[in-house]
Amino acid sequence: MKITQSRFALLILAFFLFVGSAFSQSAQADIETLKKSAPKVFIDCGWCDIEYIKTEITFVNYVRDRKEAEVHILITTQATGSGGVEYTLAFSGQNGFSDLDDTLKYFSKTTDTDDETRKGLVKTIKMGLMAYVAKTPIASRIAVSYTEEQGLQAVADKWKSWVFSLSANGYFYGEKSYRYQSITGNFSANRVTPDIKIKLGLSANYYYSRYDYSGEIIDNDRESYSFSGLVVKSLDEHWSVGGFLNASSSTYSNIQLNVSPAPAVEFDVFPYSQSTRRQLRFLYWAAFSMTRYRQETIYFKTQENLLKESLAISLTVKEKWGSISAQLTGSHYFHDFSKNYLDLNATIQFNILKGLNASVYAGGSRIHDQLALVKGDLTLEDVILQRRQLETSYSYYLMFGLSYTFGSIYTNVVNPRFGSSTGSSGIIIIN
Amino acid sequence: MPKKFRFQILAAVLFTFLFQAFIIPGFAQTPSQGAKQEAKPNAPKVFMKSSLDSAALRKDIAYVQYVEGEAEAQILVEITSQKTDHGEEFTIALTGRREFSGVDNLLRYTADPSQKPEDVQKGLINVLKMGLLRYVSKTPVADRVNIAFLDQVKPTSVIDQWDFWVFSFNVDTFIEAEASYKMQELDGSFSANRVTPEWKIRFSLSASHYKNCYSYSDSDGNSYSYESVSDSRYLNGLVVKSLDDHWSIGTTLAASSSTYTNIDLKMSLAPAIEYDLFPYSESTKKQLRFMYYLGLDSMKYRLETIYDKMKEILVKEGLSVTLELKQPWGTISSTLAGSHYFSDLKFNRIDLSTEISFRIIKGLNLNVYGSGSRIHDQLYLQKGELTKEEVLLQRRQLETTFNYYFSIGLSYTFGSTSSNVVNPRFGSSSTIRVTS
Repeated sequence: MKITQSRFALLILAFFLFVGSAFSQSAQADIETLKKSAPKVFIDCGWCDIEYIKTEITFVNYVRDRKEAEVHILITTQATGSGGVEYTLAFSGQNGFSDLDDTLKYFSKTTDTDDETRKGLVKTIKMGLMAYVAKTPIASRIAVSYTEEQGLQAVADKWKSWVFSLSANGYFYGEKSYRYQSITGNFSANRVTPDIKIKLGLSANYYYSRYDYSGEIIDNDRESYSFSGLVVKSLDEHWSVGGFLNASSSTYSNIQLNVSPAPAVEFDVFPYSQSTRRQLRFLYWAAFSMTRYRQETIYFKTQENLLKESLAISLTVKEKWGSISAQLTGSHYFHDFSKNYLDLNATIQFNILKGLNASVYAGGSRIHDQLALVKGDLTLEDVILQRRQLETSYSYYLMFGLSYTFGSIYTNVVNPRFGSSTGSSGIIIIN
Repeated sequence: MPKKFRFQILAAVLFTFLFQAFIIPGFAQTPSQGAKQEAKPNAPKVFMKSSLDSAALRKDIAYVQYVEGEAEAQILVEITSQKTDHGEEFTIALTGRREFSGVDNLLRYTADPSQKPEDVQKGLINVLKMGLLRYVSKTPVADRVNIAFLDQVKPTSVIDQWDFWVFSFNVDTFIEAEASYKMQELDGSFSANRVTPEWKIRFSLSASHYKNCYSYSDSDGNSYSYESVSDSRYLNGLVVKSLDDHWSIGTTLAASSSTYTNIDLKMSLAPAIEYDLFPYSESTKKQLRFMYYLGLDSMKYRLETIYDKMKEILVKEGLSVTLELKQPWGTISSTLAGSHYFSDLKFNRIDLSTEISFRIIKGLNLNVYGSGSRIHDQLYLQKGELTKEEVLLQRRQLETTFNYYFSIGLSYTFGSTSSNVVNPRFGSSSTIRVTS
């Protein structure tokens, strides 16, 4: 097996050396010319290691605007059942390659390192680019080789799709008059198949900060514990049923213990199989919320059991022109309909025209259900150090951004000198 | 705990337990997804209609199966040719069948009249190889296919009327509010960059304005409010010339103004030289860079400093060492930097920062990041007392001789690794909003 394999590899090598030498007189001289007619590619991926992609795939030209591109690669991700990531690469041809579209998938495992993930992604991108490259003269300089089957068989999954994860994190910050610490621990057990999704999680958080203000010590700690459970059964391409079970305890929210089981049902207007590109989900749940407070609330309660219902509408769209993600959530208690909550938030990124991008990030809430607020006055420190939740009937935020870029469309160059080319130019520490 | 309440919790826990113990195993029989079978039988079936030598095809394109009948084929390949003035033009028509139906492609190959027949055949096979990858990429066989580019080519081999200059304008606003807290931010920036393998030129201008306000009143009617404003402006310039694969020289030019650091206007110029132990061409995998700079700072303060200065001109030098590794076992990124002023050598600082992400064994990952600084160069600190709000809201930089942060995280994952299932139902979160 080994011998035939190496002989095969030698043959391949000999073949390419031959092809290489046959082309070398003419091709080697005008490789620069070939590069000029290579496909123009726009990679639409915020978190990819773009510099690595550019240094590993040099047989195409990279452009910074989607409208200049001949190949638009839109990369979207979703979490997989085993804790890995599913990358969906939508290749779409334009400006001369129109009608040449393709979709490829790459899966990374939860145990993969960054380097392994970026290598796998580069391999998938290369594979998808071939259909376009094959139509341009630079194709003559591409070598495709194949390694024969090793006879490996996939093993049966003895864990029956269950994935367990344990993690602990500590963060410590200090300077002369200020200290901050946080410690968190998490455990999760998940089982995700196309028919059922089970997610169970336990987490504990502790946080401490301390200011020394001219000898006066102001310190502050917060802790919270939570359990979350979710079971979802798939009914068809549009409907799912299931239930949540949450338990939590928090000093910030004045809750000693809250336990809330909540049966739920969901409808997606789009088929779930298109979820990486578009979703419009309506999720309804009814919860029985049992709470014991740490201190008496402004409504003179130390414990109460209440019934509430909620509807959440989520829209996610990711297309070549940009993305939209919006969520509208409303809920109310049954014992008193005036105890209700309404929240709308949206993120929109939009490529208006060549070089011009707009982004909006906004949210607003109408809050009439702060049943857990502590009776009595708060101190100045409670307010500005956010030790306690404050009474409010609303909250909102709005971010609007506009950027316009013009000039060279090519972004082929990676120049790491004096630090990363994507970072800011401030290389010297400004105190 | 009251009896009724305890009973309800117990019931809820029991319900979940029963649900998991009895109902879930019923679903557990679903066949596991993504399990790969032996690859070659999964290779696409191709039916060839061409005069190509089939032995050569089988040897050179081994990642498909060649079938005798058109009926069982998933891909039809038809190669036709036509004589033209420039030689012979071949058309390779690929047609997808069954699960590949609708996936078609038309490729061309032109043979020079001077080419030998065996070279023409090799050229044709090379184009066909690429054409078939579109189908192969959707089968497990794809894992063993490798694609390589046979040449080294300069990334600047393009026709660019802008000569690699890129300009960008940005504006951002941010507003946040609730009953007792309001915040506003406004940012603007402009940048002009030109990056080629020989030169790196970066220039940027930015300004930001930040305002926040707290107000609340207690039950006695006493009200309290606090408003604070932060402003900063920056100008940054960088020019770097590449000398060879290990050396670069350049300079930075900067001007800034900030209320946080009590600086009305700071202008600095710092020529620098850098050496990378590894060739720069391997920068995405490994870097070990040493950088030395000599800087001239001209300072104008907002308020008199603790050293009784309103303005001063200072000369400093600095050295930094940066290590960056991104390898299959994990990632390391670490920087050690030191600098001092010449006016008084005791005005100095040392910073060390590190980020490590390391796979100890399969499933067990360690993440560490941290930084520590010894600070003896806060020449800009303002004289006099700060208010409690300035301290607690971090409106002013405080006097210190050190600062550090350190974070460590350990995670262990075990269980199924073969499940590539995506199930988007009910979103990705498993919590519901029970309290505000």
